[in-house]
Amino acid sequence: MSEQRAIDLKALNSSSLLPSPLEGEGLGVRGTAAAALRSRRFGCLLAVFFVLSLNTPAIAQQPDAFQTMMLTAKAFRAATEKVQPSLVTIESYGGVAAVQGRIGGIRKQGEGNTTGIVISSDGYIVTSTFNFIQKPPVITVVTSDGKRHTAQIMGQDNIRKICLLKIEGVSDLKVPEMVAEKEVTVGQWAVSIGVGYGDMSPAVSMGIVSAKNRIGGKAVQTDANISPANYGGPLVDIKGRMIGICVPMDPQSQSTGAGVQWYDSGIGFAIPIDADSPVIKRLKEEGVEVTPPFLGIKLMAVPELEGLWIEEVVRDSPADKAGIRREDCIREIDGEKVSDMLKLRQILNRFESGQEVELKIWFEETKEVEKRTLLLGKPPKPKDGPPTLEPPKIK
Amino acid sequence: MKTSLTILAAFCFLATPAFAQQVNPKPAKRDSKQAGFFQTLVDMAQPKMVKVFGAGAGRVDGFATGIIVSEDGKIITTQGVFLDGREVRVVTSDGVSHPATILNRNRVSQMALLKIDRGTPDYFELTTDPVGQKGDFVVALTNAFKVADHEEPLSATAGVISLRSSIEAWLNKRDLAYAGELVLIDAITSNPGAGGGAVIMGDGNLVGMVGKIINSSETNTRLNYAIPSSVLLQFVNGELAEATQKETVKAAGNADLGIALFKLGGRSDPAYIDRVKRGTPAKEVGLKPDDMIVSIGGEKTATVKDYEQALLKLRPGEEIFIIVKRGRELLRIAITPTEKKQ
Repeated sequence: MSEQRAIDLKALNSSSLLPSPLEGEGLGVRGTAAAALRSRRFGCLLAVFFVLSLNTPAIAQQPDAFQTMMLTAKAFRAATEKVQPSLVTIESYGGVAAVQGRIGGIRKQGEGNTTGIVISSDGYIVTSTFNFIQKPPVITVVTSDGKRHTAQIMGQDNIRKICLLKIEGVSDLKVPEMVAEKEVTVGQWAVSIGVGYGDMSPAVSMGIVSAKNRIGGKAVQTDANISPANYGGPLVDIKGRMIGICVPMDPQSQSTGAGVQWYDSGIGFAIPIDADSPVIKRLKEEGVEVTPPFLGIKLMAVPELEGLWIEEVVRDSPADKAGIRREDCIREIDGEKVSDMLKLRQILNRFESGQEVELKIWFEETKEVEKRTLLLGKPPKPKDGPPTLEPPKIK
Repeated sequence: MKTSLTILAAFCFLATPAFAQQVNPKPAKRDSKQAGFFQTLVDMAQPKMVKVFGAGAGRVDGFATGIIVSEDGKIITTQGVFLDGREVRVVTSDGVSHPATILNRNRVSQMALLKIDRGTPDYFELTTDPVGQKGDFVVALTNAFKVADHEEPLSATAGVISLRSSIEAWLNKRDLAYAGELVLIDAITSNPGAGGGAVIMGDGNLVGMVGKIINSSETNTRLNYAIPSSVLLQFVNGELAEATQKETVKAAGNADLGIALFKLGGRSDPAYIDRVKRGTPAKEVGLKPDDMIVSIGGEKTATVKDYEQALLKLRPGEEIFIIVKRGRELLRIAITPTEKKQ
């Protein structure tokens, strides 16, 4: 068995057709040889045998393209099966009636089931906030063993578009194996998985990792199809280890539905998570809400002026409290020069409300540059108007 | 002897990872001598594909892609208004235009069977067994967005099979009348012109035919799918009954549980019980006001509307399970509907 596996891996590895070498190259060979060496009596003989039997044919005959692709497909299936016990189906009941017209770039949010993934054996489940745009008053979760549980929304992170659900009376849920973000490489295989098509057998879509550190360094970008059918589901590597949670993302907008307009179009995002990371830990508390940062200034780029010119300051906003006034000028944020609005947004994407950020401001009154530390606030709630996709209020 | 062997073994063992590294990090440069997997597939399949021209609006002929499925020139394509014209023409991959006759059309599965008077050795053999499983690489050969004119070859898109599933679970009647199995793929084929295209497995076998564009109301996204080869075969053999059509709610609709729902918030609210009538099945099994109905007879009831529809499918005297949420508990209760009092 292990020998067969080693050959399979070898065959997969030596192909130049793959977009990237499979991770763990040569592991099969090394593992087998090491195992052989462990039993000392046969160690030497076996090692020679393996090296001869594996390396020689691999050099002599390259596996054909067909064989390679079939093995890769097999690896996709194995990866899906590995993570499947940690997948849950999330069902919601009721909620905002179908809103007419387009919201969040899509005609109307679907009504179907959505995907979540177990993050702790005692019943914490992570999923995408997108799945609760309709603010369902009741949510149930079906675990992979087919049992249905009522679920409670705990905290939600509106920047990463993820939230935690909690189900009670469970103790042995399977947590998926995760791959550390630093181990993820651009070009490696990525498989997105979701149960949004209503079948407990998940749908898979494959692609590669397109980029890392997107959207303020928070997301991994992939060309595997990501859509409402798998938001909240995992993006896994070819070994079935979780790279992140699939979410809709758009660097231009922070609203819950932003990014859905790019569904199935060659660009999708996944948020790398880790059960022990502070990002997840703080969401375990009910009602916690992580929101995008708010400075409270309206800016304008003025030609031949260093930095950004302040057109307006919102009353009682963080900027106002720090003594920043109209006609002052922002030179730097977080140690980086801001030349235009895009740069500003890119820097701010790294922050969230409640954090402190250091600004260098040129003050009109004193004609001098000073440092100020701002406590980033929460954006004000939008006034009544056309339907927005502002995150649903918890409870 | 033993020592030298060990040394040799150790040497080989150490050399192995180095060897692997040499082979692997080759940049994505492809060996031109080794025909690529997808390339081989596409070359093999192009002669088995045709374009179908028929009546269109205005001066441009409406058209679709078609798949040759028999030696004697039978062609399967999607059903559409373009077939209603005086003449239907089929252009084979060599650019020759042939008049075609329509043998069969099916409005439920949205397929049409045509025939041209030219035999060919290039055709897809349809099988009763499912072709391809989840994760397998596929190529979709379609006339995506109708960009290929006349004899120009079709466009190839690659992907994997995402899921083989009966669509009943996640599509409703307004999405598509056909209720059989579909093959979902992750290559993008939900675009005008792609209908009637072929989805091909690595071994050259036909997984299925790209169907008409459908929008799933469950996820509100367009589906990329194929009608499986086995269903195509049934259709070609004239065995695909119109009965594949989703069973409309013909169940009498006269079953009663004795539940009155809380309806003030409209039909999109969750199905909360407002009142349980005396002497009814609901009362008997102990359902209470404020219980929320989660599912009936295996059907999820997200809203009052869902409940009303699920109720219509029940038959008096047939025991089913009802799941209700009481507080934070979920209760699964057997219940037998009675006949509705007129």
